[in-house]
Formats: sequence, structure tokens, C-alpha cells
Amino acid sequence: MKQNLRSLSRFDFLKMIPTRKAKIAEAPARAIPSTDSYKPNELANALHPKCQHLIVSEITEREKDVKSYSLTPDMARGTEKLAYFSAGQYLSVALEMGSVKLTRPYSISSSPRESLSGRYELTVKRVDNGLASQYILDNWKVGTEVLASAPHGEFTYEPLRDARQIVGLAGGSGITPFVSLAKAIADGCEDANLTLIYGSMTEKEIIFRNELENLAAKCSRFKLVNVLCDEKVDGCEKGFITAELIRKYAPASGDYSIFVCGPQVMYDFVDKEIEKLGLRKKFIRHELFGEYRYPEKNDDYPKDAVGKKFKLTITICGEKKTVECDANVTLLNAIEHNGIAAPTNCRSGVCGWCHSRLVSGNVYVPKEVDGRRMADLQYGYVHPCSTFPLSDVEIDVPPFRL
Amino acid sequence: MSEKYDVIVVGAGNAGLVAAATTAKNGLKTLLLEKHNLPGGCATSFRRGRFEFEPSLHELASVGDKEHPDTVYKIFDNLGATVDWRYEHNTFRAIVKGCDGYDVTLQAGIDPFCDAMEAAVPGCRASVHRLFEYYPKVTDALAYITRMKGKPNGLVMITKHADFMKIASHSVEDVMKSLGIPEKARNIINTYWGYLGVPTDELNCMHFLNMLYSYVVHGAAMPYKRSHELSLSLAKVILDAGGEIRYNSEATEFLYDGNGAVCGVVANGETLFAKEVISNVIPHNVFNMSDPKNIPETDLKLANARTFGISVSTIYLGLDCSMEELGIHDYTVFVMTDANPRKQYDDRKNKSLYIVNCLNKVIPDSSPEGTCTMFFTMPTFGCDVPKDLKPEDYKKYKNRLAEEYIEDYEKLMGIDMRSHIEEISIATPVTFARYLGTPEGTIYGYALSGWDNILGRISCEKDEYTIKGLSFCGGHAFRGDGYSSAYVTGDTIGHRVVNSIKGGN
Ligand SMILES: Cc1cc2nc3c(=O)[nH]c(=O)nc-3n(C[C@H](O)[C@H](O)[C@H](O)COP(=O)(O)OP(=O)(O)OC[C@H]3O[C@@H](n4cnc5c(N)ncnc54)[C@H](O)[C@@H]3O)c2cc1C
Ligand code: FES
Repeated sequence: MKQNLRSLSRFDFLKMIPTRKAKIAEAPARAIPSTDSYKPNELANALHPKCQHLIVSEITEREKDVKSYSLTPDMARGTEKLAYFSAGQYLSVALEMGSVKLTRPYSISSSPRESLSGRYELTVKRVDNGLASQYILDNWKVGTEVLASAPHGEFTYEPLRDARQIVGLAGGSGITPFVSLAKAIADGCEDANLTLIYGSMTEKEIIFRNELENLAAKCSRFKLVNVLCDEKVDGCEKGFITAELIRKYAPASGDYSIFVCGPQVMYDFVDKEIEKLGLRKKFIRHELFGEYRYPEKNDDYPKDAVGKKFKLTITICGEKKTVECDANVTLLNAIEHNGIAAPTNCRSGVCGWCHSRLVSGNVYVPKEVDGRRMADLQYGYVHPCSTFPLSDVEIDVPPFRL
Repeated sequence: MSEKYDVIVVGAGNAGLVAAATTAKNGLKTLLLEKHNLPGGCATSFRRGRFEFEPSLHELASVGDKEHPDTVYKIFDNLGATVDWRYEHNTFRAIVKGCDGYDVTLQAGIDPFCDAMEAAVPGCRASVHRLFEYYPKVTDALAYITRMKGKPNGLVMITKHADFMKIASHSVEDVMKSLGIPEKARNIINTYWGYLGVPTDELNCMHFLNMLYSYVVHGAAMPYKRSHELSLSLAKVILDAGGEIRYNSEATEFLYDGNGAVCGVVANGETLFAKEVISNVIPHNVFNMSDPKNIPETDLKLANARTFGISVSTIYLGLDCSMEELGIHDYTVFVMTDANPRKQYDDRKNKSLYIVNCLNKVIPDSSPEGTCTMFFTMPTFGCDVPKDLKPEDYKKYKNRLAEEYIEDYEKLMGIDMRSHIEEISIATPVTFARYLGTPEGTIYGYALSGWDNILGRISCEKDEYTIKGLSFCGGHAFRGDGYSSAYVTGDTIGHRVVNSIKGGN
């Protein structure tokens, strides 16, 4: 028998609208609950606040030209609690230095657990000719108000992805995320083992030496190896972080993940050494590059642009401004140095926070820091933090957001 | 009051983009405000290492192709937005675990689909085919109702469109039962319920049939460069037509004139006026950004009468082996513990239903050579997130969730994904609450259940939301969730606003 819709009443159709109207009429006319009152929204806000108002509560002088700043929530300006984070994440800190407005990412060097009792620690090392690091070291005092982003970044231990044994390779101020990770392992926030190979020039320049040695003494899951390139000292390795040295301290089974954090010159050297270990890509994680310098050293850089100056026209919220930009300066730096606050976060080309539209002009984006999405290339979008001008350039930049 | 803009569109999600593109292209001075730094809302992409992930789209319905353009294709085409569409010709593979389970793969095309159904459930072919035969009757009736501007003649309806009246006023299960579709066959076809978020004993059959027909006839389409391509192509239309888009510009207040009509918004502390405001933001949030005295009682009651739609938890994996090496052959696999949609819905906290997609099947070079991506989707409500979950336990909660599903799928398929995970990202309703800003992190606006079904919404749409100068488009609006529905509402509202402003001059 061919079955059809005979068993269904067509008159139910006529009831649909009256039923709907009745349902709505029955409902209360009370005020709508605030969006923040729902659990997922409440958690989202706690983990990713739009910004965090902090206050410097303590300063620890570490080695020469290195200071750690304890930051606590500034309730008076509306931050009651610090956002929790994963060891390895950073804060983007907003700075106003005269007419220049910019941001800088700093890895959190305290344990995630400490954030629950209202403390983050950032550790800043002076960079020669550095703008922000100089400014912070010379100006931040106890009581200084600091505006920071929520914690960001992917340089974290992911148990479903990484080997449980991590071999950390740190250079200079690249130690900070590892300090957080070592503390997180020691206090049980992270379930991993860390062998940290830490390269410094001389013994004097080893940052966090005491803290790290104390941690290693207390916690069997954390081991520390100091490597000095400029002097021979008992208890430290002498030389550079080579494949051979990594093999010496890494598990013989080859079952480990390498995490690298340090200055660009260290990446240039260490990456070649890591290659010799024959690890799969998934077991090698890099912290971000940081600001890209010297694009002209790359083979694919158009040599005729070297030393040139271009005009950069910026539209931000409908307003236009034209500034000068050297060929070896990122569009972002040119914008900021002219007193325009632009949205930025990682400043390494990866996070996409600075995503802007290239209205006209030619640009150069080094391959290593080209974090754009495929469709961005098709439709002419750039990440100004990793983009250099090759001609006069016009870009449309969204307003500042931390 | 001097209006700076003809139209302000709040929210650059799918619907907001199409609405703004429509008004800008029709010569209206248009401003599109978006709180994020990218357009698209759900329709975006994100990068991790050497992978670029699709965050939300499983399969876009109602696209079609150049020869057979369907609704979405036409919307993009009319706007002049180009998209590199790729197609999937299987509809899905459905696996129900357990001794009376099944493993069925269905092809697109009505005949191949019905043949596969017959093979899975002998004797069901004719009844399944009959379901599709009702589709033209539904479109005829809808065309008639539209022609009559929503006020059809009762006699004509009863004499000519009785079948439509039945299908439009009953649940999927009721209609399928009356057509004699056997239970197992119903369950297989109704695997699709998850895309609409309401189990088929409650889901309006006309709505479901529309979606089913589109997927089965046209197959599903995907943009080559993830959904970010869709959104940027629409953004280009807006800009080329002289429209303005402001990112990082969250609307924080809706402004009303002395007569209770919306006349503008505040964004980034700046007051912006317009003749008409179109909101891609869910009404709940708009009311929260409005002075309560301006919200009419009927609008408030409607908001309070509704329940939020479903959300999802998702896992994005970038694997360092190809799909062939992994042993994966399908684009979409639904995994279920029970064949019955209602049971899947009720038992959703126990892995009763999840979807696994491997985009490389449709777009082989969607990840680098020798790699592939896997995308898990688990239907979840925002209210399923444990009330006592603390921020410091959130990462562990996510990882535990992901581990359970990954393990489950590995066991089921006899594959090893764990040792190949090069990149991983896990999202929950908390993530969607963060990115979309919706209450409870809903991705589907309001639940399409019972009385709040699509037909009721469409019929009453013009009488509901009575505030002048303000209209709504998006997944929360009258066509329900999904990219295609959102595009359609953006198109409808965009044109309506064009007519009202141009007609009024
Ligand atoms: C994981 C997932 C899987 C999905 N799978 C599919 C699928 O396979 N097929 C399918 O068709 N559909 C799918 N969907 C559903 C579909 O994406 C949505 O229902 C649809 O895109 C809704 O579009 P929308 O226009 O409402 O915009 P939304 O994406 O909700 O965007 C709203 C926009 O408004 C912005 N906004 C919010 N508040 C403000 C404010 N105050 N000021 C300024 N801007 C604001 C938001 O940032 C966002 O950009 C999926 C969704 C998700 C998340
Ligand atoms: S700031 Fe992260 S990409 Fe530019």
C-alpha cells in the first residue's frame, strides 16, 4: 500500500500561529538577565578579560639590567582578580612614553598558581637600544599602574600533543616562560618533566639561578643544566647548546619534546643543531620570534629597497595620517612611533591581532613570520608587525585593542 | 537629528556581512561594526603552526554550482562576491555502535541516496523516495504564501496545499511515520538532526526537509580557503561599494529617539547615528544594551519565552600523517551510541553523538603534504558546562574531554591519532561565549524546538520585534541557524532596509 500523509491532520497547521502567540503572551515581561550571568560567559570573562589593570607591588633586582616586577590587581580601576593562565603564556603590556604608544609581550615568570592569590611576575631584561625595556626598567616603581592584556600565547605544555618529558632550551631572557613551567611542575599545576638547558654568556648573567637551583633540589621532575659560552665554571657546561649536549641530557629513548625560547641569534644556531636530532616536527616547539629585524639579510629580500624611505598612509577609524617608514622598519613600528596606537599582541606575525588591510603598495613579509591566513593573501591583508614596506604604502588599521 | 549613516549593521557575522553588502551595494551609506579584528563571526579560520583550521563549517547547504545555482550561490553571485567552492559528494557516514548498530555511507543525489538506504534497510526505498517527492509541494506552497505577502487564502491552502500544511505543522518523525518509513531508516536519515540542534521528534519537518533536500541534491560545498575566504569576499563587496567596516569596535549601547525608535549606537565611546540599525547580534544582547524603557513588553516576552539554542565542543587536530596513512576515508562521520535522535540528545554528556570531519577528503591540499586535519564536534549546551568549573581547572576539563573523544574514535576506527598530534586546539561553549559573545555560548541562537519552529518564526517575523529602526538577522533570526540561513536573513533584511529607506525618500 502506498502510504501518504493521510494520518496527519492539516488543521494542526491552523493552530501553529495561535500556539506561538499564546506561548509568547504567557511569558513574563521581566528584564533580560545579564549575558555575564551565564556560566560559559562568566568563565570566558574570567579567563579572557578585555584588559587587566595591574599595579606594581614589588620589584626584585636580579642580575645586571634584569628586574622582576610583581603585579597585583588594581581594584580601584576595576580589576578584581587576575586571569588564570598556562605556564608559558605572556601578557601584552601597554606603554605610553611621551607621544609614543606601544605594547610589548612579556612572558609571565611566576607560577599559574600564584595568579590565584593575585600575583603575576614579569621579568624584564634591558635590550641595547630597546625602547620599552629601557623605559620599564627606568620608570616602573612600586605603585606604577600597568595596563595589560589577558594572558595569550601557545608556548604551553599540551599533554595530548607533547611528550611528557620536555627538554627546554633557553637563552638569555628566554628563561622566563621556563621559570613559570618549572614552578608549575613543582607545584603540581602541570604533569610533565622538564630538563632545562640554559645558555648564558657568563656565570654572572644567569638569571634566576638561585630560584631554579632551589626548585631542582626540591622537585625531582625538574633538572637544570647551565651552559656558558664565555667562561669555564664548575657545575656548568662550557660552549653552546649543540645536538651533542642535548643528547647528553635528553632521554636516550628519543621520547621527548623540545621547547625553545631565546633571542633570534639563538634560534639561528640552535635550530640547525635540533635538526641533527632527527625529531619529528611535532616534538619541536618554538616560542615566538619577537620583533623581526634586518629583513635585508634574507635571500628573497628585494635588494633595491635597502636603505630607502617610504611614505606610509594610515587610515584608522576614518582618519588619515601620512608618516615616514624606513625600508627596514615594520609598518607597525612606524605607526606607533608616530603616536598612533594600533592593535598588537604577539608582535611576531603569528597571532593576527594587528590584521590590517593593505589598500595599496608593495610589502615584504619574511617567510618565518608570515602568520597570515590563506585568504588574507588573496584579499590583500597584512600583519603590520611583520611587514616591511617596498614602496609607498597605504593601510587601513583597526583601532587599538589590547 | 543629523544622520551620519543610512545604515549601521552591528556584527560582521555571516548575516551582518550580507546585510551590509546589500545595503552598501544599493547605494546606502553603510557602516559595519564588528567587535573582533576579523570579519565572519563563526565564519573565520585560525592558524596553528603549519595548519589553517576551519573552525565551524561542516558543510554549507543550498550552494549548488554555476549550472544549478542554489540560494547561497545566488546571494554571493548577485553581490559579486567570488568563492572557490569545493564539493563533497557523499552526504555522510553514520556509525551506530553496539550489537544492533550499523555503519552506513550515503551518497548525494536522490537516487544514489535512496539506493544506499535500500541497501541498509531493505524495503525502505519507496517510502524514502516519497519523502523527497513532497519537496516540490513545499516550495510551491511557500512561493504561493510569499506571493500573497504572508496572507494566503485559506481555501486555496486547504484545497491546493494540504500536504504542505501537514508537513509544515508536524515533526520529522510524525511525517516519516505516516509515510511508512521504517524506524531504522528514519534513524539513519535523521542523523542530520544535529545540524539543526533539535531532535527529530520535535523538529519541524518542513525545515528538516529543506535542509535534507539541499544536501542530498546538491551535496555540500566548502570554500577552498576555509570560511575566512567567504567572509573576506563579502567584506570586499562592502568596501568596493563605498561601505565602511570598523573592526575592534564593539557596540556597547543602542540609542533610541524620543519615539522609541532606534537611531544609532555607541561603539568605542563614539556616538554613531543612522536611519536604520540592523543587528546581527542576538536580541538578548541588544536588549541588554538598551535603556529598558525602550523595550516593548511584547518584545521582552518573546525573548523570555525562548530558550537558547545548542552550542558545541570541538577538537581541532593537525596530524603529521596523511589521511590515507591514518586510515581515514570519509569527510563526515557521525558516531552514535544509540540510533535514536532523542536518546542521542538526552544522553549527550555520554558521547552519545559526535561528528568527525577530515577536510582533506574534500580539499586534499587543505593542509601540507603528508599531513591532515581532523575536526571533532560534540553537541553541547552552554548549561552543560559544570556550574562549579573553575578557571584554573578549565584546561584540564578541556583536555579530558578531548582525550575521551579521541580515544573513542581511535578504538572505533582502529587508528592511531594520538601519536600524530602536531597541533591541537579545543573549544567549548566557553570559547564560543568568548568569540561570539552570545549568551551561554550558543552558536544556534534560539532553539528551534516546539512552538518556536521555523514556520512560526517566518509567519510572525514581521509582527515580532516591534522596535522601529531596528531589525535582526543571523542564526538567531527567522530562518534558524546555519551559514545558509544566516546569509538568507542578511539578504532579506538588507533588501527590506534598502526598500524602506529608498521608498521613504
Ligand atoms: C563549531 C560550529 C560548527 C558549525 N557547523 C555548521 C555547518 O557545518 N554548517 C552550517 O551551515 N552552519 C554551521 N554552524 C552554525 C553557523 O555558523 C551559525 O548559525 C551562523 O553562522 C550564524 O551566523 P550569524 O550571522 O548569526 O553570525 P555569528 O557568527 O553569530 O556572528 C555575530 C557577529 O557579531 C559580532 N558581535 C557580537 N556582539 C557585538 C557587539 N556588541 N558589537 C559589535 N559586534 C558584535 C560577533 O563578534 C560576530 O562576528 C556552526 C557553528 C559553529 C560554531
Ligand atoms: S601582533 Fe600578532 S600578528 Fe601582529
